[in-house]
Formats: sequence, C-alpha cells, structure tokens
Amino acid sequence: MLLIGILRFLAAYIYPMNALFAIVFIISNAILLFLDPESFLPALLDGAQKAATLCLSLVATYSVWLGLMEVWKRSGVTRVVSRFLKPIAKRLFKTEDPETLDCVCMNLSVNLLGVSGAATPYGIRSAQLLDRSEEGEYASCMLFVLNATSIQLIPTSIIGIRVALGSAMPADIIAPTLITTVFSTVLGVILTRLLIPPKSAKRKRRALSFSRKRLKARGAGVR
Amino acid sequence: MNYFLALLVPVLFLLSFLFALRKKVKLFDCFTDGVKGAIPLIVSIFPYIATVAMLTKLFEVSGMEAALSKWLSPLFSFTGIPDEITPLLLVKPLSGSGAISVLSDILSRYGVDSYAARCACVAYGSSETIFYIGAVYFAGIKRKKLSLALAIAVFSYLASVILCCFLCRFM
Repeated sequence: MLLIGILRFLAAYIYPMNALFAIVFIISNAILLFLDPESFLPALLDGAQKAATLCLSLVATYSVWLGLMEVWKRSGVTRVVSRFLKPIAKRLFKTEDPETLDCVCMNLSVNLLGVSGAATPYGIRSAQLLDRSEEGEYASCMLFVLNATSIQLIPTSIIGIRVALGSAMPADIIAPTLITTVFSTVLGVILTRLLIPPKSAKRKRRALSFSRKRLKARGAGVR
Repeated sequence: MNYFLALLVPVLFLLSFLFALRKKVKLFDCFTDGVKGAIPLIVSIFPYIATVAMLTKLFEVSGMEAALSKWLSPLFSFTGIPDEITPLLLVKPLSGSGAISVLSDILSRYGVDSYAARCACVAYGSSETIFYIGAVYFAGIKRKKLSLALAIAVFSYLASVILCCFLCRFM
C-alpha cells in the first residue's frame, strides 16, 4: 500500500527535478531531525547566502558576455554562422524546406555562440516545423540530441565564475571543454543515425539487401 | 599553449567589434542594450540557484552526500570520475542554474584549480540540461522514438564525463 502511494507520488512529477528535490529534501530533513536538528536552519540560510553572493558575481559575468552577444546579434554574426551551417543542416535533418532550415540553422548557430536564452524560441519553432517534415521522427530526435549534447564553443559563464573565485588560469578549461563537447555531439549524432535511421536510408539499405539477394540467387543459379 | 588560450578572448572581442564597426553598428548603444539584459536574467535564475544551493547544503550537512559518494565510488573509480563531482553530475541534466550553484560549491570547497574542480568545470561546460530541453522543446510533440533519443543523449553525456575527467588529468 505504501509502495503504491510512493509510486503515485512519483508519477505526479513529470519533470524529474521536482521528484529529486522532494526526495533529497525530505530525506535530509528527516536525518537531521534525528541527528542534529539545530543545524537545519543554518544550513538553509548558508545555502541561500552562497546563492546571493554567487548571483552578484554572475551579474558581472553576464554583463560582459551579454554585451558581446548583443553586438553579435546586431552585426549579423549569428546570421553569417547560420549561413555556414546550412549545408550541414540539410544533410543532418534531411529536409529541403527553406523556412525549417533557417530556423534550425539559427537554433544551431545561437547554440554554438552560446547566446544565452536565444536558442530556446528557435528550438521550439524548429521542433514544430521538423515534426511536420517528411522525416519527422528522425529529424525531431536529431534536433533533440544536437541540443541536448551541447555544442557551445566557449563556456563563458564558467570562465567568469573561475575568474571571480580567483583561479590562476581561468581559461585552461577551454580546450578540454571543446574536445568533450565535440565528442559528445559526434557520439550522439552517430548513435541517432544508427538507432533511429531516416526512412530514405532504410529504403536505400533495403534496396541494397534486395539486390544482394538477387545477386546471390543468380550466383546460385549459375552454380 | 595557455598563453594562446588567454589570447582567445581579447581576440574574439576585437574581431567582433571590428566586424560590427564595418556593419555600421552603434557599438556603445548596442553593448549597453546587451548588458541591460543581465539583471533580468539573474532575477529569473536566482530562485533556482538559491533553492538548489539550500538543497546541496542540506544534502552535505545531513551526511547523504558522503553516503552517496561512498556508495557510487567503486563505479566512479572504475571510470576515473572523481566522486567529489557526483552532485553536479546528478543536477546538471535537470537544471542549468541549479548546477551553477553546485559547481561554485565544488570550486570553493576543493580549490578552483584542483583536479576535481577542473573536472567539474569541463563537465558543466560540455553538457546541457537534457531533461529541461526535452520538456520545453518537445512539450507538444508526440514521437515514439524521442525516449530513445533521450537515452542516446544521456549515454553521450555519461561518456563525455568519463572523457573529460581523463582529459583533465594532463590538460
């Protein structure tokens, strides 16, 4: 009975952050209640205090990078990058529709440049447009994997946090981050291609295996 | 190598500003317009940062973090992931701003330039909020294979974390 109750409780949460928060908070709370009830409130206040200080240093970081990003947006850097991405997007998403391609390319280029928050509206629109395209199933999955494996080139907010905390070499994480990002994206794309193949690829493969069978049949006939 | 990386940011700004000048963008007005967005952005992410910061503090004080790390450490030592970054790995796929507060906690606790801190930075920078993107982008879209795509994204995330901890050893 209790188990069913817990399962129902978990199913009520679709976005797992709610479940994680509830579980971790309640268990920690219960443990502290028995072991050390006096440290409960100081722990919460200390966390909030840290968040407040962190947000102040983040205001500085975001001021610098949001300024640069506005310059990118206004001078058309995002549009230039998105034009470069078009041939790649055509092959990745198997679509020729110009409106869809524009939207997808803006989503990808904004992601690459890390223009914070700007990727979401393009992403939602791309998801809707790709859903209607001929390769809907495959293209939707590809869009999700590309967005979820992160393709940001310069990790701006991290460099800012490292500077704020007094790192000796705040930029030394750029190279490993870049390699890791590229790795996860390429791995994601390859896995998507293999596990969720587009219809045209399936058709091609079927045609191939069909002709192979015919070849074999012919070979058998000769023998 | 590190000198060139330090050059990257100023060169980026210089090139962007020169390009913008060529496109006849009013640089001062434009830059200030961008900076204007910083305060609303912080205001919008502060609730998440503060809540997750309180949660991580509770997690630490109650001893659950030590227990979970101990429980997961055989798995992590096998793959080469330092167990100090466990909380970050759990929160990042769910909430980006929440992960920022976990990240800064790790950085101040173990030292900004320590191995665990650098792993945490790379793991944070090379991943995305997988579940959040899934929830927001594909809210109204019903495709059967999106759950498979979700599995692919999570798998790539875990593989990239292993790679990042390996790279941080000598980069």
